[in-house]
Amino acid sequence: MKLPDLIATGWLEIRSHKMRSFLSVFAIAIGIATFFYTLSILSQRYRDIDRTAEVSGKGRLDTTVERPLSMDQYNQLLRMLPPQASLSFQTDEMFTSATYKGQILTGFFLQGLLPTWQDSAFVYQVEGRFFNWQDIKNKHRVALIVVYPREKEPRHISSVDSGPAGSVQLQDFIKHINLLNQSITISDQSFTVVGILRAPPVEKDFRAPEDQESMQKIFIPYTTWYDIAPRWWDSFSTRVRIVTGSEDKAARATSVLHSFLRQQFGPDFLPGIRLFRHQLDIYRQGAWHNLKAMIFIGLIAMIAGGIGIMNITMVVIFSRTREIGIRRALGASRLDILLQFLTEAMLLGLCGAAGGMVLGYLAVLHMANNTSQLTFSWWVVAASVLLALGTSFLFALYPAYEASKLRPVEALKYE
Amino acid sequence: MVIHCEHLVKIYQTADAFRALNDVSLDIAPGDFAAVMGPSGCGKSTLLNILGLLDEPTSGVYRLNDISTADMSDRVRSRTRRDHIGFIFQSFNLLPKLSVLQNIALPMRYGNLPRKDILPRAYELLQRVGLADKADRTPQELSGGQCQRVACARALANRPELILADEPTGNLDSKAGEDILSLLRDLNRSGITIVMVTHDDKIAHGAKHIIRMKDGEIV
Ligand SMILES: Nc1ncnc2c1ncn2[C@@H]1O[C@H](COP(=O)(O)OP(=O)(O)O)[C@@H](O)[C@H]1O
Ligand SMILES: [Mg+2]
Repeated sequence: MKLPDLIATGWLEIRSHKMRSFLSVFAIAIGIATFFYTLSILSQRYRDIDRTAEVSGKGRLDTTVERPLSMDQYNQLLRMLPPQASLSFQTDEMFTSATYKGQILTGFFLQGLLPTWQDSAFVYQVEGRFFNWQDIKNKHRVALIVVYPREKEPRHISSVDSGPAGSVQLQDFIKHINLLNQSITISDQSFTVVGILRAPPVEKDFRAPEDQESMQKIFIPYTTWYDIAPRWWDSFSTRVRIVTGSEDKAARATSVLHSFLRQQFGPDFLPGIRLFRHQLDIYRQGAWHNLKAMIFIGLIAMIAGGIGIMNITMVVIFSRTREIGIRRALGASRLDILLQFLTEAMLLGLCGAAGGMVLGYLAVLHMANNTSQLTFSWWVVAASVLLALGTSFLFALYPAYEASKLRPVEALKYE
Repeated sequence: MVIHCEHLVKIYQTADAFRALNDVSLDIAPGDFAAVMGPSGCGKSTLLNILGLLDEPTSGVYRLNDISTADMSDRVRSRTRRDHIGFIFQSFNLLPKLSVLQNIALPMRYGNLPRKDILPRAYELLQRVGLADKADRTPQELSGGQCQRVACARALANRPELILADEPTGNLDSKAGEDILSLLRDLNRSGITIVMVTHDDKIAHGAKHIIRMKDGEIV
């Protein structure tokens, strides 16, 4: 019998027992829904992590040194690194306040950056300009302010909610007043706001969590920061970030950084250098780990679904023994009978897959209030269909084989 | 179709090892129309099932067109049934969920005829048994006589050389029975070999010769 005829025969049978068919594919549908949901979320997470890798730069490594580092040290380290490597220092965060035309602005951290900060995980739209090396060299009094889209705004910094009387959260203030090219006072020094950095909306921000600001920030040049930092500044730390461009260069840069830090701070200095690639692996494992239980539930449901299919195939064969006999008399071979019941079971599986995917998709839409945009992926559909077909095939194999073994005379006599 | 049987024995594996066929030897020539008669339980159906490759004898030789059937695989037996033998049963054995036309098409679905030629041929066969207007009916909507005519059309689907009919008129009134008999006689005249089991003397006399059985033996 040819495939279209097998399908037509199976479909007729399924349609003429709608309730029975529905009940028998129920568990398959639940299983497929679970898998569809899990795989959709998982593939979304992996895709996000891949984008994070893209945004963050290739061959990147990070460390935090519990000391301030000078520009001399910067240049010394840069000479040791492979050519084309980008080196960025970032100061500690300082909690302070600013004044604009007599208005006290609070609720932000002040941090010093170098121009190379832009080389990794830079997702902002710049209004005005970023820092340049002149700003660093001459310790210019220039500042950048980050503006967040509404859904991404950092929480108000609670300790300053009860700040000086008449003070305003910077975050609220910049919603109404554009500070670009305005002059603000920080630590009695006058700064010009040369740039506004607009952070992307949540679903387009693929930075790693460690690259995202969790607080409202004002950035100033790295050198300027140390100029206005308080006396106890030598207890501050420095974040060092190197983007080399490739993973093997990153390995070399790790040992360079290691020996540099020991040379600076003594042989006992134990820097914790993190390869960004490892960080990404941890994210991937985390994504998988969170969904492992779901996969397990899906697997159980699929086994239940398979047993449902097996059960219904046995019932169907029992109630259609005479039909098997008739078909055999008309010339159906054992293989024809086997294929007929396998096709029917797989059609049932397919119905389960269709129902399951609809359920799964609804679950993805309503239950996963994911931060990033959900995209429909065909491989998840393909995997779900294959899984349903495979399960029903496997579980129908035994009953279908038994049916094919029925002897024609006996099947024909069956009432 | 040449049928040649020697010393066929069929023993059912019941408690008393019942001998349904006891040393049956039989030859049927191509173009013959044989009626098998005998009391109920004498082994007529058993013989017909063996001739139709639906069952196997316990011992003895059955050669079909001079080919021994003992060594045939299930595949070859199925193909032989499909391409060379047509069955007609007492209880029609139509599939209740399929339309009359689809029932007739069924043997062709297992054959090598191109799909597009199947339904036209089924329709042709339906015309031949005079039921062209019933193509879309289901078997339940037909009378017994009409059902048996559909079964005859189905038996002809793959142009068999042999038709085996097990009490084809057993469930029919005499008028319908005679219709079926005349249909079978037509088919026989066109060259198809027919072996028919029957209880009915009148029907049996429509055949070319009669084989009488008793207690698993030919008498
Ligand atoms: N599968 C079977 N198992 C045991 N006995 C059987 C079986 N099939 C038929 N018989 C017995 O064999 C004998 C012949 O049966 P059958 O060929 O059907 O007779 P009939 O001449 O009425 O068609 C009967 O007595 C019947 O009871
Ligand atoms: Mg009988």
